[in-house]
Amino acid sequence: MAVRIAGAAGQGVQTLGEILARALFRSGLYLHGEFSYHSRIRGGENAFTLRVGEAPVFTTTNDVDLLLALNEEMLDLYRPWVREGGVVVTDEAVGDPADREVRVPAVRLAREELKLPIAAGVILLGTAARLLGLDRERVTDAIREVFGDKAEPNLRALDLGYDHVPNGRWQLPSPQFKHGEAMLLTGGQAVGAGAIAAGCRFLSSYPMTPGTAVLEFLAMHAAKHGIVVEQAEDEIAAINMALGASYAGARSLVTTSGGGFALMVEGLSLAGMIETPVVIHLGQRPGPATGLPTRTGQENLLFALHAGHGEFPRYIVAPSDAADAFYLTMKAFEVAETYQVPAIILTDQFLVDSYVVVPALDPARVPVHDHHLPVEDLARMETYNRFALAPSGISPRTLPGVSEKLVLVDSDEHDAYGRITEDLEIRVAMVDKRLRKGDGLRAEVAPPEIYPTGSLRGKRILLGWGSTYGAIREAVERLGAGYAHVHLRELWPLRTEELRHVWSEAEEVVLVEETATGQMGRLIAGETGRQPHRFVPRYDGRPFTAADILEAVR
Amino acid sequence: MAEMSAEKYLADVELAWCPGCGNFAIRTSLAAALAQLGLPPHKVVLVTGIGQAAKIAHYVNLNGFNGLHGRTVAAAAGIKLARPDLTVIAESGDGDLYGEGGNHLLHNIRRNVDLTVIAHDNRVYGLTKGQASPTAPRGYRTRAQPAGSPSAALNPLALAVALDAPFVAQTFSGEPDRTANLISQAIQHRGFSLVNVLHPCPSWNRVQTFAWYKERLVHLDETGHDPGDQGQAFAVATRSGEQIPVGILYTTDRPTFADGHPVLSGDPVGLRPLPSSDVVRSLLATFS
Ligand SMILES: Cc1ncc(C[n+]2csc(CCOP(=O)(O)OP(=O)(O)O)c2C)c(N)n1
Ligand code: SF4
Ligand SMILES: [Mg+2]
Repeated sequence: MAVRIAGAAGQGVQTLGEILARALFRSGLYLHGEFSYHSRIRGGENAFTLRVGEAPVFTTTNDVDLLLALNEEMLDLYRPWVREGGVVVTDEAVGDPADREVRVPAVRLAREELKLPIAAGVILLGTAARLLGLDRERVTDAIREVFGDKAEPNLRALDLGYDHVPNGRWQLPSPQFKHGEAMLLTGGQAVGAGAIAAGCRFLSSYPMTPGTAVLEFLAMHAAKHGIVVEQAEDEIAAINMALGASYAGARSLVTTSGGGFALMVEGLSLAGMIETPVVIHLGQRPGPATGLPTRTGQENLLFALHAGHGEFPRYIVAPSDAADAFYLTMKAFEVAETYQVPAIILTDQFLVDSYVVVPALDPARVPVHDHHLPVEDLARMETYNRFALAPSGISPRTLPGVSEKLVLVDSDEHDAYGRITEDLEIRVAMVDKRLRKGDGLRAEVAPPEIYPTGSLRGKRILLGWGSTYGAIREAVERLGAGYAHVHLRELWPLRTEELRHVWSEAEEVVLVEETATGQMGRLIAGETGRQPHRFVPRYDGRPFTAADILEAVR
Repeated sequence: MAEMSAEKYLADVELAWCPGCGNFAIRTSLAAALAQLGLPPHKVVLVTGIGQAAKIAHYVNLNGFNGLHGRTVAAAAGIKLARPDLTVIAESGDGDLYGEGGNHLLHNIRRNVDLTVIAHDNRVYGLTKGQASPTAPRGYRTRAQPAGSPSAALNPLALAVALDAPFVAQTFSGEPDRTANLISQAIQHRGFSLVNVLHPCPSWNRVQTFAWYKERLVHLDETGHDPGDQGQAFAVATRSGEQIPVGILYTTDRPTFADGHPVLSGDPVGLRPLPSSDVVRSLLATFS
């Protein structure tokens, strides 16, 4: 079952989408809600595409069963995507009365009955809810949650719409989970919640879609959870402030998109040199330059990996869905802290903005620890060397001002104490020390997920990473025997051994990636010498659906 | 606070500055200021960027964050916001603070983070062999500006006064006691403080020499200047002619970034423990 709400920016598509998502969630159903929008505040095209399921849904769809079109333009644009037997709900003034839409006098009722023209959307939503077979109470709850003390006129709007049709057309599945067993959230909220759960205490960022969602989430929770959140003057400031805060003991996060990350590159290299943890949330959108600000893509893989002059270890994750975004964000903080390296969370607009219902998140799945040297140990040391040449490459770390030991870090090459040096033997020892951390990091990375489990011999593999997970999985399920899905969610260090194995077993490897050039293919080729046999690209700024992949693969 | 010996702040390392450079005296003045205030070295973080001046982080016994060229004030702000319990001093060259890092200076004055910024103003890029810095006068010739710098000099004092920086002072490295005094007042002043330290660079700047400065200094504390008057301060900062004002130009008391901040009023976030599982579960409950 799938529903699309489409309208101009300013017509409340996002609010209506959120109400519908909450009502379905309150009905015990899994769902995925994709928000797709033009980069403007008024006008343009806004669409919320919602899929309902009896199990977690991680991908969007092109076709829908019910279209709620808030204006003429959206009706024309999206009517072709309504399935056989589907329904279109519009205002009575929209479209041609001869067509078999469900036409509701929503604008008139909102004006005359409610004296609140904006409520027309909720009236239409009420009609759609009835048709979908939603309980009125569940929608009422959702409206209360979304509107708070402004709920009253919208509840009346709901009734006007709900009662406009005599009965439902569909029957929803029975509830799949009880209250507390599942959660409804966006990928952006999941990154923010993961950061808080991992002990993030500092965020400095400059707004840039889709990174901003995380900035706003943390800003909202900052006072309650004891986090300093500051809008920096630019992204260069953002990362340097974050590094300062991290040096001083605060687990720190910056959030941005490709353009902002480009400005952070020198700071990323500084993090590598001064071995100071920092987590970077890089919400991808299509480039180059400003690109398509509100669209999705995976073009920053090689950029994230290669950004920063000089050679230093880093950790890169690419969550596959919102639950994964929560856990991998926690892990990114923990790995950054353990290895004293920068960690990058590579998401995209599709993941950040999509609503999804996931099994209840359990923070205990990613244990977090304090990695600082105990003050008692410091007291026993004659001098404290911030960059002591440890066998693991991880020099015991302490903070300034917690004992009499001084802490010096330097962006120049430095000795064990942290003092600038041009002694080339020390230089070599320091490079080796920093790179040794890569061995430990490699062991942290989980192997790629393989579906279905079992032998890959003779199979065609669809290979993907990050937020294309749901679309590829669904495609593989529909393709059936002879196909398998290999998915990477921790990208660097790369698990080359398992990838070599995939190539040696499989009949064919098809890379599915939202780029024009197949970056993961180049990365794997560089690391293993194995190339994907085929590549299914997408770079129009829209997320893959299973149908797109099936069409390309078959 | 008990006064300490200035010696203990000075690291016993080789100093890579040229003979006759003003940086030596600034280092001594900084140590004297810290001694005057009796600040324990481990409670001070000296944040520097890159340049000759910025090397000072390695020549003192303090906590140090020697970051990137131009990003000194940004890193310092991050440290101070995470650890209001520490004294944070940002010290670097004029190129670093006024050129590459101008934006951070501007916005941290606006934020009014409680930092002390000490600018080593030699009007050149010393480390990169003498190009014009933002404070070099128009027409100043270097190998990179052979026809003379075509741009007007930046006036950091006027800029800071215009932005209502709570403490704005200028001093000359050749007057180490006055310099030490000003630095210690700047550290004590609540909010953002800027101390612009003019200093000769005998290797590259053959125009603004020690003697050149000496002839032009006017001590504001001897002229009846009122640092509480922003108009007067601006007039002094922008006065043209041969006189160079030294001393406190401007002081004011306005709300700092931390005043009334919901988080900064509590324990330093850099020292807070990891969140309890109850707190995390209550956050996650909002999604269910
Ligand atoms: C991003 C970046 N650009 C350029 C440089 C090269 N660089 C190092 S120091 C410096 C200028 C130093 O001038 P100033 O800050 O006035 O310090 P001084 O050496 O005069 O004390 C430059 C351009 C650098 N290190 N980093
Ligand atoms: S180059 Fe100039 S400023 Fe730098 S140490 Fe030498 S004399 Fe001093
Ligand atoms: Mg200089």
